[in-house]
Amino acid sequence: MRIRIGQMIVNEKIKKGEFKIPIHLALGHEAIAVAVDSIMRTEDQLVLSHRNIHYNLARIRSLKPQLDEYLLRKDGPAEGRLGSMNLANEKKNVIYASSILGNNFAVASGLALGQKVKRVKGVVIVVGGDGAIEEGSFYESMVFLKSNQLSSLVLIENNGWSLATRIKERRCDIDLQELSKSLNIRYAKLKGNDPYQYIEKLRMLRKYVLDNKAPLLLEVELATLGSWYLKTEECPGGKFVNYHSGPAPTINLSDGPRTENSVRDPVFVLEKYFEKNFLETTSQEILKNLKDEIR
Amino acid sequence: MKYVEFINNLIRKRVLETGNIVLFGQNITAGSCLSGLTKNLKVQKNGLIINTPNSENALCGIGFGLMMNKVPSIYFMKQQDFLLLGVEHLVDTYNFIRRNNPLTSFTIMTVVIDQGYQGLQSSLNNFGDFCSMARVPGFAITNRADGEQIINSRLVSPGFRIIGVSQRLFNQELLRVGKIYSNKESTLFQYTKGNKATIVCFNFSFPYGLELHNKLKERGVDSSLFSVNAATPVKWDRITQDLQKSKKLVVIDDSKSENLSCYNFLAEASEKCQMDNKIIVKRNFSGDWLSPNPDQLKINYDDIIAKLSSKSLKRQQYGL
Repeated sequence: MRIRIGQMIVNEKIKKGEFKIPIHLALGHEAIAVAVDSIMRTEDQLVLSHRNIHYNLARIRSLKPQLDEYLLRKDGPAEGRLGSMNLANEKKNVIYASSILGNNFAVASGLALGQKVKRVKGVVIVVGGDGAIEEGSFYESMVFLKSNQLSSLVLIENNGWSLATRIKERRCDIDLQELSKSLNIRYAKLKGNDPYQYIEKLRMLRKYVLDNKAPLLLEVELATLGSWYLKTEECPGGKFVNYHSGPAPTINLSDGPRTENSVRDPVFVLEKYFEKNFLETTSQEILKNLKDEIR
Repeated sequence: MKYVEFINNLIRKRVLETGNIVLFGQNITAGSCLSGLTKNLKVQKNGLIINTPNSENALCGIGFGLMMNKVPSIYFMKQQDFLLLGVEHLVDTYNFIRRNNPLTSFTIMTVVIDQGYQGLQSSLNNFGDFCSMARVPGFAITNRADGEQIINSRLVSPGFRIIGVSQRLFNQELLRVGKIYSNKESTLFQYTKGNKATIVCFNFSFPYGLELHNKLKERGVDSSLFSVNAATPVKWDRITQDLQKSKKLVVIDDSKSENLSCYNFLAEASEKCQMDNKIIVKRNFSGDWLSPNPDQLKINYDDIIAKLSSKSLKRQQYGL
C-alpha cells in the first residue's frame, strides 16, 4: 500500500512537471517488490532495470530520499547523480540498475561470480522484463550463471508489453519454462499479485538457489496499470495506450490507491486479507505520513 | 624473444602476484591459449581461471559486476572486433561504475586483428576507437619498454581499462628500445631525442617509426621518436615542444578508421608549430582493402628521408 501511494504521489508530481528526468512508474508491480524486499538478507544483492521505483521504494521504506534523487538533489540515495533509470542504492543492497535492456543480467552474473570468489553465502536477484529476454545478454547470462553454479534469481516481470508493443505484435512466443529446461535451470512462475503467497514462495526459491548453488528463472505475470484511451482523428473512439513512462493521466491520488477491481491490481488482492474499512483507514494514514515526510 | 612470449611472461608474473583475481575469456586455457597470450596462466589459491562460453556481451558485464563486488579481473579477448558485441558495457556500465572512482581493477585485454590476411575483420584495427567512445583509458603495446610499463603499472591497477596487443607483431622479435620519457598515464612514450625531425607513431605503427628513425640515423639525421599508445586525451606539449625545434614532422598512423587518433595531434601541431615539413603516413583506401592483404604500410623511406632534407614546406601522404 505504501509503495502504491508513494508512486501515486510521484505521479501527481510528474503531472505537474516537477521532474526533469524520465520516470517509469510500476503501478501494479508492487506485490513482487514487497516479496523480494521481504526475503532479502544482508548478503543478498538486488540488480534492477530502468523500471525500478517499486523495488527502491520497498527497500528504502520512505519516499523523501527517492523524490530527492528524482529532483537531482544531494540528499538522494545516489546524491542526485543517478536520477531514475539507473537508480541504485548500495546501502540498501540495490547494487546496480540499468536503462539498457538486458545489460543488468550480465552485471548480475559478475556480482554472483564475485560472491562465489569471496565465498559470500548470498543470492543475487536480477530483475528484467519480457522485453529484456529478447536480448542476447539474457541467454548469455543464463548460460554463464548455470555453467558457474551461481546462486541467483533471475526474475522476469512479464507485463506483456515492451513500450507500446504487445508481445504478439513483435515476436514469437518465448516459453521461459522450456528455455530453462533446455539449460537445466529450474523455473517457477508467480501470478495473482498475492504478496503473502509471493513471500512464501520466494523464500523457498531463495533457499533452493543457495542450497543447490544454482540459478533459478522466476517469471512473474503482472500488469502495468495506468493505461488510457487516446482520442485521435484516426481513432475517434479512443486508441489504447499502454502505460510506459511519465505521467499516468488516469491515475489520480484523490481516487484512492485501488485502481482496478481485479487481481491485476495488488491493492485489490489485499481485500482477501483485510476489511475494506481497515484498508481505507490504513491508506489514509499512509498518505498522511508520506505527505508529512515530504513536506 | 617474440613479442607475444614477452607479454605472456609479464602477464603471468603480474597475475600471480595479485590475490583473488579472476581471469576469464574464451579458450584462455585451451588450444593455443590465444596464440600464446594466455599460456600457462596461474592464480593464487583464492583466484579463479574460467574458460568461458562464447558470450562477449555478458562477459563484459561480468567484469564490471566483479568490480562492483571488489573482485579484480581480466577478460582476455581473442579479437578486438568481438568487443563490438559488448560495447554498450563500455559506455553504460562503465559510466555507472566510474562515478565513484572504483578501487578494484577490471581490464579487457584484447588482440587487435591488424593482420590483413584475416580478411574482413582486420579492417577494425584502430585500438583507439573503443577507447574514444566513452573515454576509456587504453594502452596499446608495441615494444619492450611500453609493454613492461603498461603491464606492470596498469594490468591490475584500480579502475577499468582496455589493453590492446597487435596480432601482426605476435610472432615478431620483440623490439627492445629504451624509453627516455613517458607521461604519467602511460599513453605517450618517447624513445629517442634528436633535433632534425620529430616522428610520431599512432596505434601499432611504432615498428615503422623505429625503422625510419634508424634509417635517418644511418644518414646522420637525429630524430625524436614518439609513440602514442591510446586515443584517450593526451597532452601534446612534449611533442609540440620537440617539433618547434625540429620543424620537421612525420606522423605514422596504421589505423583504418575514418577518425584517426593522429588528427587531434595534427590540429594542435598545426596551430602551435611552424613546420618546414609535414609528412603524414596513413592508409590509402583506393585499392581493394576489404580483401585479404599483407596489411603493411608501404613506406618509401628513402623518399621520406629526401623530403626531410628539403627546406621547403612539404605535405605528403603515403599509404598502403
